[in-house]
Amino acid sequence: MEEFFQQLTNGLAVGGIYALIALGYTMVYGVLKLINFAHGDLFTLGAYLGLSLLTSLGLSGRLGPLAGLLLLALLVMGFVALTGALLERAAYRPLRQSPRLSAVVSALGASIFLQNTIMLLYGARIHVYPQDILPKVAIDIGGLSIPLVRILVFVVSLLLMGALYLFIQRTRLGTAIRAAAIDQAAARLMGINVDQVILIVFLIGPGLGGVAGLLVGLYYGQVNFTMGWVYGLKAFTAAILGGIGNIPGAMVGGLILGVIEAMGAAYISVAWKDAIAFMVLIVILIVRPTGILGERVADKI
Amino acid sequence: MGFQQPVTNMTDSKYKIAGFGALILLLAVSPLFLNAYWVDVLNSVGLYALLALSLNVILGDAGLYNMGHAAFFAVGAYAAAYLNTQCGLPILWALPVSGILAGLFGLLLARPVIHLRGDYLLIVTVGVGEIVRIALINNLFGITGGPNGIFGIARPELFGFRIRRPLEFFYLIWGFVAVTVFLFARLKNSRFGRALDCLREDPIAAEGSGINTGRYQLLAFMLGAAWAGMAGCLYATKMTIISPESFSFWESVLIFIIVILGGAGNISGVILGTFLIIGLPELFRGFASARMWVFGLAMMIMMVFRTEGILPHRPRLFKGLDRLLP
Amino acid sequence: MKRTVVWGLTWVMVLAGAGLGLADSIKIGLMAPVTGSWASEGEDMKHIVNLLAAELNAKGGLLGQQVEVVLEDDGGDPRTASLAAQRLATQGVKAVIGTYGSSVTEASQSIYDESSILQVANGSTAIRLTEKGLKYFFRTCPRDDEQGRVAAQTIQKMGFKKVAILHDNTSYAKGLADEGNALLKKDGVQIVFFDALTPGERDFTAILTKLKAAKPDVVFFTGYFPELGLILRQKKEMNWPVPFIGGDATNNPDLVKIAGKDAAAGYYFLSPPVPQDLPYEKTKAFLKSYTAKHGAAPGSIWAVLAGDGFLTVTEAIKTTKTTDPTKLAAFLHGGKQKISGLTGEIGFNAKGDRVGEVYRVYRVDAGGNFVLQAK
Repeated sequence: MEEFFQQLTNGLAVGGIYALIALGYTMVYGVLKLINFAHGDLFTLGAYLGLSLLTSLGLSGRLGPLAGLLLLALLVMGFVALTGALLERAAYRPLRQSPRLSAVVSALGASIFLQNTIMLLYGARIHVYPQDILPKVAIDIGGLSIPLVRILVFVVSLLLMGALYLFIQRTRLGTAIRAAAIDQAAARLMGINVDQVILIVFLIGPGLGGVAGLLVGLYYGQVNFTMGWVYGLKAFTAAILGGIGNIPGAMVGGLILGVIEAMGAAYISVAWKDAIAFMVLIVILIVRPTGILGERVADKI
Repeated sequence: MGFQQPVTNMTDSKYKIAGFGALILLLAVSPLFLNAYWVDVLNSVGLYALLALSLNVILGDAGLYNMGHAAFFAVGAYAAAYLNTQCGLPILWALPVSGILAGLFGLLLARPVIHLRGDYLLIVTVGVGEIVRIALINNLFGITGGPNGIFGIARPELFGFRIRRPLEFFYLIWGFVAVTVFLFARLKNSRFGRALDCLREDPIAAEGSGINTGRYQLLAFMLGAAWAGMAGCLYATKMTIISPESFSFWESVLIFIIVILGGAGNISGVILGTFLIIGLPELFRGFASARMWVFGLAMMIMMVFRTEGILPHRPRLFKGLDRLLP
Repeated sequence: MKRTVVWGLTWVMVLAGAGLGLADSIKIGLMAPVTGSWASEGEDMKHIVNLLAAELNAKGGLLGQQVEVVLEDDGGDPRTASLAAQRLATQGVKAVIGTYGSSVTEASQSIYDESSILQVANGSTAIRLTEKGLKYFFRTCPRDDEQGRVAAQTIQKMGFKKVAILHDNTSYAKGLADEGNALLKKDGVQIVFFDALTPGERDFTAILTKLKAAKPDVVFFTGYFPELGLILRQKKEMNWPVPFIGGDATNNPDLVKIAGKDAAAGYYFLSPPVPQDLPYEKTKAFLKSYTAKHGAAPGSIWAVLAGDGFLTVTEAIKTTKTTDPTKLAAFLHGGKQKISGLTGEIGFNAKGDRVGEVYRVYRVDAGGNFVLQAK
């Protein structure tokens, strides 16, 4: 039983990161109906930028660990958000009126481009974050030993998700985003600047992805240029699992995917873990064709 | 979709046919003055053209988002490799068998999920691709050879002649491509092709016109899967060794890109797309480690400038229409 | 207009991509993964071979000619490798160095053999590569069965009774894990865990929790260093003190950087000597000039073995005074050859495998250094 709960916390910690990345997928999808395959590489960019800023500016030394990390996160968020907006302008906006899959291919091209840009700039070798930033303490809760950093990462993910949820539900801009997601033409008629909404979505989504990259770098300590491909696919799966376009869905999907993986590895087979996760996904989609929290949309008639 | 002025008149189509003929002739004689490397690049293009044409039936014609096509490619390749190395079946006999097995696998798989909407179907096919790859790596039923794959696959023999060199493979592969293009072009103009056109553009109208949409979608899926399986058989005999890394998610993505970038639903477009996507990275070898960077950039540029693919699918026009229009 | 721009761009790229040839030089091919997941290995291979070639050319080259290294990218994937091999074969190379992955090498083997080009692989340790009776194939790295034997021996000598084996389902790691599994079982050692992780992931806590429940005395890890670094680090966070012993793919200084010194301390691995430990004057001088040029010593032994491949080929050409592959192969198979390489004396048996004991046991000390253990 102790092992079960240990695996549950393992799964939730991994799932928290999936969920954070999945938010970027789901936000962009909600408004543009575009699967942004470059999102995983924006996540990688966040991890690398975080490393560069961390080692070159020495923020935590000057401002103390907490303020330093906060500033670092804001910087990374800003840079990656800017890249995301540029990407939207260059690679997606010209394709907005074309068949949906064209934009998907452009996104795949952007993904290859970004990934190789990172490789050419930083080299192909694995890069390592400094080790002494976060405390290495484990907390004992009822016989379970959970590293403090894992809890921190999880809490930060939850806070960011909560903030985003409130932003979408409670603010004027959030309302505009929701309106544009439902019907762009109608939103335009209601005086909503849809282009601006899309820009904001492409600032927030990649920004969150960048922070997720920073968190992964800080916690796991190791980054390489292909990491976005693995995390991107997992996060996309999570977004679909929860019902793509739906923000609570991305959170739920991410956490569930993490837990399924941990349990599959624990009780069936480690080598088959990913296959098990996909099988569960397929079964869930057969039962609920639009994901766990996805709304059932009636087909156009 | 508005009425378009029909673009074909007699002289136009004559030029078109002459142009196509010249291109085909050029391709047919090209191995005679290319070195073995470029012939092998053309072989690679031919194999991917087969894969892309088969995906085109599913993605372009039926409009079903499939990003796990490597799964069917893998089933065909492994079936051929197993039958050849374990049961001694000559590789050209294994060709139809691997097609049938891959087609059946496609049918079995598509049956419960075919009703899923766009992107949900897309992730399901991605998942299937990954499940197949993981099963191959983990040596399912002890017949896939695990991460090592299967090696020692025989070369094809035709009337006692053993196909071995790149030049000989060129004619085998492109001969099969030619047959495929002929069959698929005929299919497009058949009742089946018209039904697919209709249900892709508007499934509800199609249903209303008495088309059994589910059945046609399944048929298209099965046909595409079967053809990918046969491409797998050719791949296996050409490489003589197959291993799971040749059937990764990336391969599925590549085939998907070819179809969309070339022009979904358009056979010439898909073949041109294959030349670009498989050929360009070879041309970019001079860039060394920047080669994939240039490739990604080229992909974005091409998509932005040709938003519907390089040769977009043109909606079918009623032949008598030009007489009706002023 | 737009179309003209696109096609113009395409053609510029085509022309820029067209290969350049130099007359009057001996061409030696290098097939390396300079893109893809193993790009870091490929980069080191490229640097080492280029530096060796530059040194050789500065001394007057070979047989009065300059040596030109022709690099082709195999992308770490079999299909790209077969095209790279075809391309090298048509460019008139006399011999090819490379490559890293076993299945990647395998896809290129028959092409070189059919074109009578000497191939010296540097990182492909799968047993069957040299069991096919190919005349022109050699490798400077040891084979998996050799490593499996040394691993089983070492584990038993250390007195472990319950062993967990973790691999990563790559051709190499699975081969080594199977080899070790069979040998250990035969000698009555209990295997309590045998499973594979997924390369490229970051979180291995689920696997570690499961491993811990199996209560092994030691974990034998046959995969690569990026994953192992994370595993050691997460194991430390779990406060689980079980010892780990690993294969030669974990031999990389980045391992300690990823894991952190305190988590890596006490880790054992088997490997040919690490670059910095090679006791030869020649090697030390080479590594010095390498470090001066590229800012850091080469990361892995495999890239150094590519350098050995280059030295093998050039020495053979120098001694036999010919570039005829059949004569070169006969010379290398002869068993009388004494080539001084970066990793010591190089010699090959009739199959093309390198002869001699290469494996050593290393332990990571508290300072993060790889310390050679007494035999």
